[in-house]
Amino acid sequence: MKALLKTLFGDARNVAAVAAVVAVAAALTKTGHAAWAVVAMPAACLAAVGWLARS
Amino acid sequence: MDWPAFLPLFLTAGVEWVEAFTIVLAVSLTIGWAAALGAAAAGLGTLAVLTVATGGALSAGLNMQAIQFVIGVFLLLFGVRWMAKAIARQAGLKPLHDEDAEFRETRARIGRADWFAAWLVAYKGTLMEGLEVWLIVVAFSLHSRAWVSNGIAALAALLVVFTTGLAIRAPLRRVPENAIKFIVGAMIVSFGTFWTLEALAGAVWPLGDWSLLGLEAFFLAGGQALVPLVRGRRVAAA
Repeated sequence: MKALLKTLFGDARNVAAVAAVVAVAAALTKTGHAAWAVVAMPAACLAAVGWLARS
Repeated sequence: MDWPAFLPLFLTAGVEWVEAFTIVLAVSLTIGWAAALGAAAAGLGTLAVLTVATGGALSAGLNMQAIQFVIGVFLLLFGVRWMAKAIARQAGLKPLHDEDAEFRETRARIGRADWFAAWLVAYKGTLMEGLEVWLIVVAFSLHSRAWVSNGIAALAALLVVFTTGLAIRAPLRRVPENAIKFIVGAMIVSFGTFWTLEALAGAVWPLGDWSLLGLEAFFLAGGQALVPLVRGRRVAAA
């Protein structure tokens, strides 16, 4: 079960990183700035990848 | 036929099947090829049942927007960690995956194990490595409904890896695993980003599906730009 959960979600840092990316996209969308999310979300993803790579 | 998904599926599956093959090869030296391949087949059968059951359960009664959001997020969870590990390995922060070392570790783990314990190692190894293939096949298939072609992509990779491995009877050490994981990770993050935002905001991507190519180029270039940055930060900290 542990292996399955790890395959699906990764570790806690992985979940936190993706949650932050989705939060950025959701916040921009909900405040009427969805067009900015097109730029901000990929940038946030790349930042998340960099953060995870360093840990 | 879901052609955009074929390549990432084939490459993802290929990398995982290489690792599964290493384990099966190590076990075959204890219990013979027939038994080791039988264990691998049992693992694959379990994965097939899991795929069918998951697809049916997830498809029933959910709206497409919710499915698209869930799939997008799962692809992000999968893709960012593949990209991060590949970048960390390329930057020298983690060792490259070594199939020879994996082979020796599996041989050591089997040790003096009895026939059934060794069989279980091959079964479990195939199942565990195949779980990531399962996740990607289900994710792409729920979106495109192209279950058969996506399954074919995964099986095609299995055929290539196992026939190559059986021909040389040695760990497949020359597969550029890290490069493949980086490229596939970038593809999967691209799909995850695209679908998650589309689920949240509707048809917001400026070039529609063609935006996927732009995203892929961004993550490939950006990911490579991260390598010296990640390497440099750790050197500074040391």
